[in-house]
Amino acid sequence: METTQATPVKYDMEVVRWFTIAAAIYAVVGTLIGVYIASELAWPFLNFDSPYISFGRLRPLHTNAVIFAFGGCVLFATGYYMVQRTGATRLWSNGLAWFTFWGWNLIIVLAVITLPLGMTSGKEYAELEWPIDILIAIVWLAFGLNHIMTVAIRKTTHIYVSNWFTMGMIIMITYLHVVNSLAIPVSLTNSFSIYSGVQDAMIQWWWGHNAVGFYLTAGFLGIMYYFVPKQAGRPVFSYRLSVLHFWALTFGYVWLGAHHLQYTALPDWTGSLGAAISLAMIIPSWGGAMNGMMTLSGAWDKLRTDYILRFLVVSLAFYAMSTFEGPVMSIKTVNALSHYTDWTVGHVHSGALGWMAMVSFGAMYHMVKKLWNTEMYSDSLVNVHFWLATIGTVVYVVAMWVSGIMQGLMWRDYDEYGTLTYTFVESVSAMHPYYAMRAIGGMIFNLGAWICLYNVVMTVRQASAARSIDAVPAKA
Amino acid sequence: MTKLLGYMGMDVAAMTANDWIGVFFSLVAFIGMAAVYFMVFRPANKDTFESRRSMALDDEDHINVGEKR
Repeated sequence: METTQATPVKYDMEVVRWFTIAAAIYAVVGTLIGVYIASELAWPFLNFDSPYISFGRLRPLHTNAVIFAFGGCVLFATGYYMVQRTGATRLWSNGLAWFTFWGWNLIIVLAVITLPLGMTSGKEYAELEWPIDILIAIVWLAFGLNHIMTVAIRKTTHIYVSNWFTMGMIIMITYLHVVNSLAIPVSLTNSFSIYSGVQDAMIQWWWGHNAVGFYLTAGFLGIMYYFVPKQAGRPVFSYRLSVLHFWALTFGYVWLGAHHLQYTALPDWTGSLGAAISLAMIIPSWGGAMNGMMTLSGAWDKLRTDYILRFLVVSLAFYAMSTFEGPVMSIKTVNALSHYTDWTVGHVHSGALGWMAMVSFGAMYHMVKKLWNTEMYSDSLVNVHFWLATIGTVVYVVAMWVSGIMQGLMWRDYDEYGTLTYTFVESVSAMHPYYAMRAIGGMIFNLGAWICLYNVVMTVRQASAARSIDAVPAKA
Repeated sequence: MTKLLGYMGMDVAAMTANDWIGVFFSLVAFIGMAAVYFMVFRPANKDTFESRRSMALDDEDHINVGEKR
């Protein structure tokens, strides 16, 4: 690495440790809520006639918990970790980093309070009301300022590609969050979007898809480009491809949102444009996935013994699969069948569980060992977690594929008189086995998250105990 | 052919400010992507880019003198 100084640096890693532990806790909580609402769909008595735990109120809590609590803490932890190590410098402001930790967790607490009470702006993946939106913007800007300024004071000449991905995410999410959340407040807990009609829908999905594109993809690709080479002990297969991956994703992703609104009041050409660019995005996405996979060239044997590496490699397989499936679903002919069905839910979870969560767990295990300077409490439990996460994801996704395609086919089936063959209720009834299967898939995944938390906590305790023994002064 | 050309047609007089903003950003994205492809695939740049491949691996030297016990 090209450094302009040889003096040792001391990193600000305590905040990274806290974000990592928080991520492990939120992985459990977020997926547990997901399992509960999946169970409510399969066995509706679980609503217990309480509005506070109804699907409509818990579903946004689940999405906020997994995306912003779990995913967010992983992004903060890895962002602060990578920028210091690849820049050979401390954080620009450790105090600001702690502000983001407490600020982000305050937002999560506020989400836990407001969403079950039904306080929502009604915008998907942006349900929190306007005071919390402002808090999100402040904390996110603090993260952005700290990260960008740390890059500015780096001791290396080059900015590693992972930091480009993180900065791209920070800039785009700031812009998307602010524009999408613009609203007229009528009280502290209620507001109305400044957009209406089809413009509102377009802004919603411009935000919705780019939250996927920049928050759940760019941010986690930054993680992939750092942690896959680290864990494999191999250099990135092609650095040129990583640069191309970053810019193609940055230029391309913002066009895709309209593919969520095929066959709606949105002008037809807009949806076609969204689908066309979606298909074009397969090229950089697969290029990036191949780049990550090929980084293991000459080190594939490590997969036999390195369970952390398994998480990272399988996440790339799911990334490749999701980034092919998404563009295919955006094509109008396919969309006519898939839209509004469980196929979309399966696609989202293929990305969220298979890609985002898997790469996160891989990065978290890697960081825990480095941050506490120890080995994992149990490598076997990492392996058990890997298989539970993989099997849980596959069970979930397969259930939703079958359910979704069946739903789509039932909804559009006509008889010889041109009337619908099936009532909507019949389609709901046909879904039941798959809803039960989905809940079981989620339970398996959630069990893996509990094992991860246990293993991380025991690893930290093990490291603390070792440190205490070292600290006891030797008797004369 | 005429129908195909019809897709390429542009009624400049009817274009609104939003349309022009769209055209501007489309061109910026297109030119930007072309520039990135040129920069990345230019043989003269290959060694410069690929010299960064192991940058993530090299940071071990620094973490070993960090705040770990």
